[in-house]
Amino acid sequence: MGTGNSRRRLALAACALSGSLLAGAGTFAAASAASAPQETTLRVKMSGSGVDTLNPFLAFFDGAYDVFASIYPTLNSLDENGKPGPYLAESWTPSEDKLTWTFKLRDGLKWGDGKPLTAEDAAWTLNLIMTDAVAGTANGSLVSNFESVTATDPTTLVIKTKAPQANVTYVSIPRSGIPIVPKHIWEPQAKNLKDIKNDTFPVVGYGPWTLTEYKPEQYAKFDANKDFILGRPGFDHMVQQSFKSTDAAVAALRSGQLDYINGVNPTQFKALQADKSLLTAQEVGNGWTGVEVNHNARTRTGKKIGTGHPALGDPVLRRAIALATDRKTLVTKVLDGMGMVGSGYLPPAWPQWSWKPAAGQETPFDLAQAGKILDEAGYTKGADGVRVDPKSGKSLELRLGIHSDDTYDAGISSYLKGWLETIGVKLKIQTLSMSALNSDLAKGDWDLLMDGWTTGPDPTFLLGIQTCATLPKDDGTGGNTDAFFCDKAYDELFKKQLTTFDQDERAKVVAEMQDILYKADVDQIHFYATTLDVARTDTVTGLITGQPDAQGMYPAQTTFWSYLKAAPPAAKTAAASAEEEGGGGPLWIGGGVLLLAIVGGGIVLRRRSGAGDRE
Amino acid sequence: MSSLTAPGPAKVKGQGVKRSDLLPYLGSKLVAALVSFFVTLVIGFVIFSLMPADPVRTLTRGRPTSEAQLAQIRVQLGLDDPVWERFLTFVGNTLKGELGYSWQFQQSVSSLVADRLGPTLLLMGTAAVLSIALGLWLGIRSGWRHGSLFDRIASSASLTLWSVPTFWLGMILLVTFSVGIGPIPSLFPAGGMADPSLPQEGWTHVVDVARHLVLPCLTMVLVVFAQYVTVMRTSIIDEMGSPYLLTARAKGLTDDAVRRRHAVPNALLPSVTMIFMHLGILVSGAITVEAVYSWPGLGYLTYEALKIPDLPLLQGTFIVFSASVIIMNLLADVVYRFLDPRVRAQ
Repeated sequence: MGTGNSRRRLALAACALSGSLLAGAGTFAAASAASAPQETTLRVKMSGSGVDTLNPFLAFFDGAYDVFASIYPTLNSLDENGKPGPYLAESWTPSEDKLTWTFKLRDGLKWGDGKPLTAEDAAWTLNLIMTDAVAGTANGSLVSNFESVTATDPTTLVIKTKAPQANVTYVSIPRSGIPIVPKHIWEPQAKNLKDIKNDTFPVVGYGPWTLTEYKPEQYAKFDANKDFILGRPGFDHMVQQSFKSTDAAVAALRSGQLDYINGVNPTQFKALQADKSLLTAQEVGNGWTGVEVNHNARTRTGKKIGTGHPALGDPVLRRAIALATDRKTLVTKVLDGMGMVGSGYLPPAWPQWSWKPAAGQETPFDLAQAGKILDEAGYTKGADGVRVDPKSGKSLELRLGIHSDDTYDAGISSYLKGWLETIGVKLKIQTLSMSALNSDLAKGDWDLLMDGWTTGPDPTFLLGIQTCATLPKDDGTGGNTDAFFCDKAYDELFKKQLTTFDQDERAKVVAEMQDILYKADVDQIHFYATTLDVARTDTVTGLITGQPDAQGMYPAQTTFWSYLKAAPPAAKTAAASAEEEGGGGPLWIGGGVLLLAIVGGGIVLRRRSGAGDRE
Repeated sequence: MSSLTAPGPAKVKGQGVKRSDLLPYLGSKLVAALVSFFVTLVIGFVIFSLMPADPVRTLTRGRPTSEAQLAQIRVQLGLDDPVWERFLTFVGNTLKGELGYSWQFQQSVSSLVADRLGPTLLLMGTAAVLSIALGLWLGIRSGWRHGSLFDRIASSASLTLWSVPTFWLGMILLVTFSVGIGPIPSLFPAGGMADPSLPQEGWTHVVDVARHLVLPCLTMVLVVFAQYVTVMRTSIIDEMGSPYLLTARAKGLTDDAVRRRHAVPNALLPSVTMIFMHLGILVSGAITVEAVYSWPGLGYLTYEALKIPDLPLLQGTFIVFSASVIIMNLLADVVYRFLDPRVRAQ
């Protein structure tokens, strides 16, 4: 044990340390504002998935693609209608036979390190993905139909495809397409691609922003590219900060730590609508939520697999389930009204592909009709009220797999259970992790599964997972299906949409495909949830937030437009902003805790000075 | 009297440890620790291998991936290897000090763990020191004057906080002290470990991290300190009827001296056990607190790994967590030998 003197010194040192810390706390905000009075920073919440890796050849997570869209260029951008527009390429033309595409690229662009950005960079990036399995880890499928890619001169890129491909202009678009990287930086590392973390800052790229710093699970910092060809960003800097809990992100927004959050839940959204200092906005959904029906899982050769209930192979039962689902109630109760009733397979964020059944063709919510068609098909009720499949003799007790971490699934399943039991179908709800659910799906060991997909502007992939080619092989491997759907007419239309170059005509083909899916009742789409955004009105303007009743694409970060167009309020200077938001808080804390430290230290000293006497 | 309590302070202090006795004792404990470690390795591998997993489909969900791509990724991740081969690779890598390669972050598990170890140790270490100090102090005072107003307040407050769900308490503190309620202004940041707009080094950074540390640390302390209060209070009450305290008082020592020099050292052993148990699980962090406050530590890394599931990362963190518990148990055994003469007598 120490002596009284050493204790006193310790207490004094602690007081001094506390005082220094607090003095620092009280002054750092002001110091920071004073050091850069004219600099402005946009502070946003990073995508909830986070960033898996900064290597654009290997990344899968949304957070990484948000970063890539900001720092790497693409051949095309997306215009405000969600269709391919100019970016690196100013124009693009397919040949007569539709097998050769010629892109004319802008002249005079430079990478962040001053080296010229030419068609050679684009050709090298696409060729690497086409020829190297590791480089194709994330984006290999986008170039699988490419025969060759060449740069005939610094501003001309020629892409030859093996077969006509209508979606070539979607292959390199921000966020969902292939980012173009600087050849002179990546070529020396190409043989070692798997181990490249791409974390030398600033990252050499070209986009509206330059990545200057990144700390995993914490934040990514960007500087504005003041020479960006599609417009200069409104802020000097951008910070994307990671918040694992949306509640914490909302707290950060309300306390001034963040300027904008994309993707709050309906309850938070409604609570924040009352706050006059916040702007709340809804984006039309770019994904669907619904239920997959295992209508007899089978392999490519038709061999049955899995443990699905055989009665689900009967279109009458699937129709009855669809009739017994009240989608309007699900939107009202599960989404608190923040969404649209589902029907077509492609979400309404992409109006060029959006489809609805014709008037009178929609599946209504009609429990009586559902019961009637089951009666007519011979599904009689047993003593327990559960119907029996007349062919297999099995009672209609179905398993419904739901995601353990999804509140929508929990809400939907409780409603579905009630509705289906009314018509004599018993539901056993199984709560599964995402990976367990995927594992069961692949093996066909399920009856009904809650599912959901979001999609970018090109519908090819999402439509593709309903083709026969995605069924598994006989050994159970190689599958990439969702509902084991396989229909020859659908497959023919899938090929047709890939070769229909007039995008309006292509949309008609895509609509026919959605009609087939709708009538098959294997992917029963419940709703399209709107994305709910909140921004501070005192620190940011110009964010593209859409309208509550918008029918078109209002991207938050489907591309880079929103953060590019965001700007600080005109009348607000950075210094004033800093003082208003952060200057008072630390001083307040500093004063309070300093007082506590002094009082606490005093008590300790007083007690210790008398300790010897007491003992 | 507690079974772990020594009969008097004279036997707790002042006896040397013979070197010849110490080495076999340490050796046996070390061997036991190594055996434990190997068993946990096997158990860990078996558990994670039995988990239903299709990491490739979960990883690639949301990206257009062809069948060939999925097959290639499975090969890259070693998923096509038979289980026995994966087990041998796992054990071999572990013995070499390599913890494998994360599927989702596509980098070595060791580097991921190293990145997150610092934040977790900072948060959990600070919370542990504060909760141990507060808990023991309150426990001693409460036990020494059990039944008093101070005791009743301290005991009921600590038990109430111990019963509160950590996540809920974190949210309440977040709303109160970050957003601000009524006259309480926004005092502390809502999440993260540092403000990205400030310099990430020097004094400003230290202060900034300290500010971010306050709420998660406070949440941990408020929940954890109660168990130290309870254990220490009970131990002190057990000691109070002991004859050696009567002797100490008869010698004319003050009440304060009797408590501090005689009762507390003997009552401390159960708390030491608990402290070492807590230190063992320190590196695993607190998933809920790290999630609420977006604290970039190991607890949350584990949670992220479970979602895929990223088996190499899960196995790697499992090894680190197991090793820390085993090492702390080993240290506890050694410290006990110094603190408790009966252990030396065995």
